[in-house]
Amino acid sequence: MTANSAPSISIDGLTLTYPGKTVLDSVSLDIPRGKITVLAGPNGCGKSTLLRAIRRLHRPAAGRVLLEEMDVAALSEKALARQIGLLAQNPSAPEDMTVEELVRLGRYPHQTMLQRWDAQDTRALEAAMAGTGVTGLRDRPLGSLSGGQLQRVWIAMVLAQETEIVCLDEPVNHLDLAHQLDCLDLVRQLNAEFGRTVVLVLHDLNLAARYADQLVFMRDGGVAACGTPDELMTEALIAQVFNVDAMIITDPAYGRPLCLPLRTC
Amino acid sequence: MSLLVTPLSASRAPSMLVVMASALVLLALCGVAFGSSWIPIDKVAAVILGVGEKTQSLIVLQLRLPRVVIAILAGGGMAVAGFLLQKITRNSLASPGVLGVIDGGALGVVIFLAALSNESNTLVTSIVFQPLAAMAGATVGIAMVFLLSGRQSVSAIRLLLFGIAVGAVAKALVMVMMLIGPIYRTSQAARWIAGAVNEVNWTEIQITALLLLPLLILALAVARKLPPADLDEVSARSVGLDLPVFRILVFAVAAALTAVSVAFVGAIGFVGLMAPHLARLIVGRSTVAGIIGSFLLGAFMLVGADLVVRVLFSPTEVPAGTVTAIIGAPYFLFLLMSKQRDDG
Repeated sequence: MTANSAPSISIDGLTLTYPGKTVLDSVSLDIPRGKITVLAGPNGCGKSTLLRAIRRLHRPAAGRVLLEEMDVAALSEKALARQIGLLAQNPSAPEDMTVEELVRLGRYPHQTMLQRWDAQDTRALEAAMAGTGVTGLRDRPLGSLSGGQLQRVWIAMVLAQETEIVCLDEPVNHLDLAHQLDCLDLVRQLNAEFGRTVVLVLHDLNLAARYADQLVFMRDGGVAACGTPDELMTEALIAQVFNVDAMIITDPAYGRPLCLPLRTC
Repeated sequence: MSLLVTPLSASRAPSMLVVMASALVLLALCGVAFGSSWIPIDKVAAVILGVGEKTQSLIVLQLRLPRVVIAILAGGGMAVAGFLLQKITRNSLASPGVLGVIDGGALGVVIFLAALSNESNTLVTSIVFQPLAAMAGATVGIAMVFLLSGRQSVSAIRLLLFGIAVGAVAKALVMVMMLIGPIYRTSQAARWIAGAVNEVNWTEIQITALLLLPLLILALAVARKLPPADLDEVSARSVGLDLPVFRILVFAVAAALTAVSVAFVGAIGFVGLMAPHLARLIVGRSTVAGIIGSFLLGAFMLVGADLVVRVLFSPTEVPAGTVTAIIGAPYFLFLLMSKQRDDG
């Protein structure tokens, strides 16, 4: 782990518009190094857009994203891909592609015209597959995998990229309960063992509170609140951000705040 | 479709390419040997090596070899264009024929022939400019598809629908031009639209080869960058493929390849659809092997199609494009139906 305490990413007054709609309205936020930041909020609050804007998949109308104090707008596509990995919300690849073929694509940004596949690439590929437990599936076509296996393979691809920062857009969206925990435990393990800075978009507040070091509530294209889960999981804030009357209790197993939604308000 | 496709290890691709190349050479020799008179293969080889007898040399070098060589170049070029288009749209139904490229090229050629012929029906400029006219038409065609589809161009299906629409407009305009225009050799325009490899001379072959070679090298260079194009837009970009830039580059290279390929032989359909699809089944996912395999298969198909029309319909000169269409159209339907199964 690095001793550097400066944030990995600083978002500075970021405004993003689609024709006729402001999706992000002057958002400023720091993503702390080596921590898990979770973006949460009601549908359409701009959390996925913010995640993609961090990876420069959208061009901002104003403001900027600073990566290690460098404006991401100045980086090449590959340079950016060596620093930020992003797992899309509904990633798709051909069904006949094998697991290993997909994970190998994670090494793409590390290859240039002059530098072909080398020992470092092989090492990263094997480490990514081992770290996500998909080594045994390497020759299987993607179409033959279960949803949980597939998600692990996609995470392996992002991991093979060997980026300091890993962004995941609703990684547990279509997974059952066991695979949700499995997937997020894997993410936390990557964070703890490899010191990766993680930014997650999560829908489920209780999962968010359980895995986040820093929790960010978004609403209407802006940051409504940012802090630790203990600071943010309050009845007042949840009513304000999510329009839900809720009861916050402490979960008896992990001691994290737990939200019991009662009714909309 | 996934059941039909067994992933091959990359190491098998080179040997498959050697097999395809050998098959092409064999077929090309047959293409020269067959015709109104049969010339034995060893005599053909002798002529090509410069030690053949005089009449046979004349038949081989002036009549038969040109059509085989142009078939190799045109079939191969169109197949590579198809490969690039299928890769960048992630859709095995994409091809130069359905993205308005060929019909645009046809319109370019017909306008060229009509505008630059004089009253006595002879061309007032050099035929050397015909590929440029085809290229201009093809570029306008594909640019129209892009401009009209606008933001929807990231969706392969929308793109194909716009391509078909633009192609239909170009086809209609070609028809009008042919009916009303004082066209230099109307029959040539008609043949062009059907797609035939006969009546091609060495000058036209030289022009085609000179333009095709740099484009093929460019296609290989682009293809090496393209593996992430198998993924969805966001994933491809997040591993570092600059898709907005590459998409335009790939479409431009594919349009140019198609235009050069069809400039003299005309609108030969479906080779650009079938060859890359079959090549991928044979050599697997490698983009470089895919380009080479597509070229070899596309060349094989067009040389084969020309051989078939010569053997079956001789002495009537039936355009080779009719054979590729007769085989290609059902193939397109088959792909369409198996895709439907996949989606549903």
